[in-house]
Amino acid sequence: MIDIVRNRHQTIEIEGAKKARGNRTKARIYWAMAVFILAFIVISARLVQLGSSELSYNYTGVERDLATASRPDILDRNGQEMAIDISVPSLFAEPRRIIDVEEAVYKLRQELPQLNEEWLRDRLTGDKGFVWIARELTPKQQTRILRLGIPGIDFREESKRFFPATETAAHILGAVNRDNQGIAGIEKYIDGDDLAVLQEIGLARGRKLEPINLSIDMRIQHAMHAELVDAIERYDAIAAAGVLLNIKTGEILSLVSLPDFDPNDPSSALEPYNGVKGARINRITAGTFEMGSTFKTITFAAALDSGKVNITDEFDATKGVKFGRFTITDYHGKKRILSVPEIFKYSSNIGTIRMMQALGKENYRAFLTKLGFDNALPIELPETKMNTIAENFSDVGAATASFGHGITVTPLHLASAVGAIINGGNYVPSTLFVRSEEQAKQLYQRVISSQTSAKVRYLMRLNALEGSARKANKIADGYRFGGKTGTAEKVIDKKYSSDFTFAAFVSAFPLENPKYAMVIIIDEPKKENEQSGTTAGWNAGMTSGRIVKRIAWLLGIKPDFDDSIDINLVPIELR
Amino acid sequence: MIRGLNIILLIACISSLAGVYAIKYETLELANQIAALKKEGNSLNNDISLLEADWAYFNQPSYIEPVVRRHQEKLELNILNQDQFININDIPMRVEEDLDDKALTALFEALDRGIDPIAVLIEANSQ
Repeated sequence: MIDIVRNRHQTIEIEGAKKARGNRTKARIYWAMAVFILAFIVISARLVQLGSSELSYNYTGVERDLATASRPDILDRNGQEMAIDISVPSLFAEPRRIIDVEEAVYKLRQELPQLNEEWLRDRLTGDKGFVWIARELTPKQQTRILRLGIPGIDFREESKRFFPATETAAHILGAVNRDNQGIAGIEKYIDGDDLAVLQEIGLARGRKLEPINLSIDMRIQHAMHAELVDAIERYDAIAAAGVLLNIKTGEILSLVSLPDFDPNDPSSALEPYNGVKGARINRITAGTFEMGSTFKTITFAAALDSGKVNITDEFDATKGVKFGRFTITDYHGKKRILSVPEIFKYSSNIGTIRMMQALGKENYRAFLTKLGFDNALPIELPETKMNTIAENFSDVGAATASFGHGITVTPLHLASAVGAIINGGNYVPSTLFVRSEEQAKQLYQRVISSQTSAKVRYLMRLNALEGSARKANKIADGYRFGGKTGTAEKVIDKKYSSDFTFAAFVSAFPLENPKYAMVIIIDEPKKENEQSGTTAGWNAGMTSGRIVKRIAWLLGIKPDFDDSIDINLVPIELR
Repeated sequence: MIRGLNIILLIACISSLAGVYAIKYETLELANQIAALKKEGNSLNNDISLLEADWAYFNQPSYIEPVVRRHQEKLELNILNQDQFININDIPMRVEEDLDDKALTALFEALDRGIDPIAVLIEANSQ
């Protein structure tokens, strides 16, 4: 019994061990199930999450490589495209995947004969993974090359800058290099701004950037360009340039410098012109010249504004002004006493020197500083040059400077200064970006009184009616146009030469309330025909007239032949 | 019972396997479609950029002027002369013709009363 009990007991024990094992297994299975269930819950939760989340289809900001880096479109003030991006295919090869180099070379050269055979063979041989073969091809070439079926070559799209106006606005726009970085002009300026940073971090790649609106008006830019091309031919000149400013806002409406280049082919900017290297510079901002008698406008404004010279004053111009052994005389000598308007009209050097002397050379020098001649151009172009004006004038230096000799300035400096003198007396820095009159008024710096400004306007109009700007005014009749000519003899072999001259014409219109000022320069003009002369009135002046005739109505100026406009321009003292 | 359950699970497993494969191939197919569409989109974008460039080029004054010069003689095109502008007040009024005075008077009187006879006509027609 006891045995049985014991046996039973033993059996129970055995059963207990089995049971305990079975229990353990069961527990393990439960655990495993729990783990699996948990895993499945996690997976299904993730599935639900993925299924319910909305995919963003906005791919902007996806990083692309530098080859597709894009630049903002550049538009003129009316939205006309001046520089845009286009995608073009570029051909590359993977030499390690090319099976038959000779065949590839032969086939490629049939399509692209400009490739050098040796160079191409060298390029395609080897174990390299990527080499450029030809960049910026046309879509047609791409199709034809793909049809050749050469293994190991392929295309990728690159952004290329395209300047649809070719040369017309070359010096404004500048150029970009193969990697789409600006290397000159406004293209370089916008890179320096913040585009380079955007491109660097990959934000400006392959996506549209906000377009940039320049202050240029392409219709006017073209008209000026065409007239200056015509002027170079007509007067057999070596160079010509011009700038038109809105003098109320400082906006540059057109800026042309010839000879120019094609921005689509940046290397053309460095090509010599008629054998002269570096001739294709921007003469408006990066060229300094002796602007000749056009500078008298500034001297007159300085003298009249000081109160030391009145418009009714008269100066003796019978004899030249002597400085030691030098005597300065007049080109169109009248050899009599001249009134202030007559000095302007006849462009008398003697009279201008006397006026400057009445003002005082220190005051005159200070006035030039006030008009911004000592400062770098406040323009957005990287190509600028500083003027060379002595810090302190000697007696003879001040005398020659009063009629624009012995000091060299950029045409844009002169245009801005003259703009300030005739717009009512407010200097406003020039810009290539759109600027409203309200914005411009914040920048105004008064340089002369509005009364003096009105007197200079009268003098400019008088010169158009009776003086050296007559021929220009005849062409631009009705647009209340006026200006001052300047003919400087060029320094050839360290001596002034009367055979080689530099002609400038500074003008403004409509003179009863001038909104636009223009400077036109023509380098080494010759006679157009036997009857014509070589002074600025014949070339720079008449070119200006033709430009005004072509553009004034585009600027919303209606021709008006009413004499009362001219009569109202005459200062009260002279009526 | 467990056997039945196992069979069911096995069937479920196989069918879900087949389902997953189907989805996988469908996705691949879709990915191919996406790639093709993207490629097409890219090439269309490129075409657009080239057409835009063409448009910009043909719209430039520098392109238009030579075209104008070519047809200058035939079309008698010239740069606008100052005497070609006149004031709007200088445009002469229309020469008086035989006007139906009665009808005009009736029209103006009706307008004065605040009735627009033409509007009435249109309304009558539209009904």
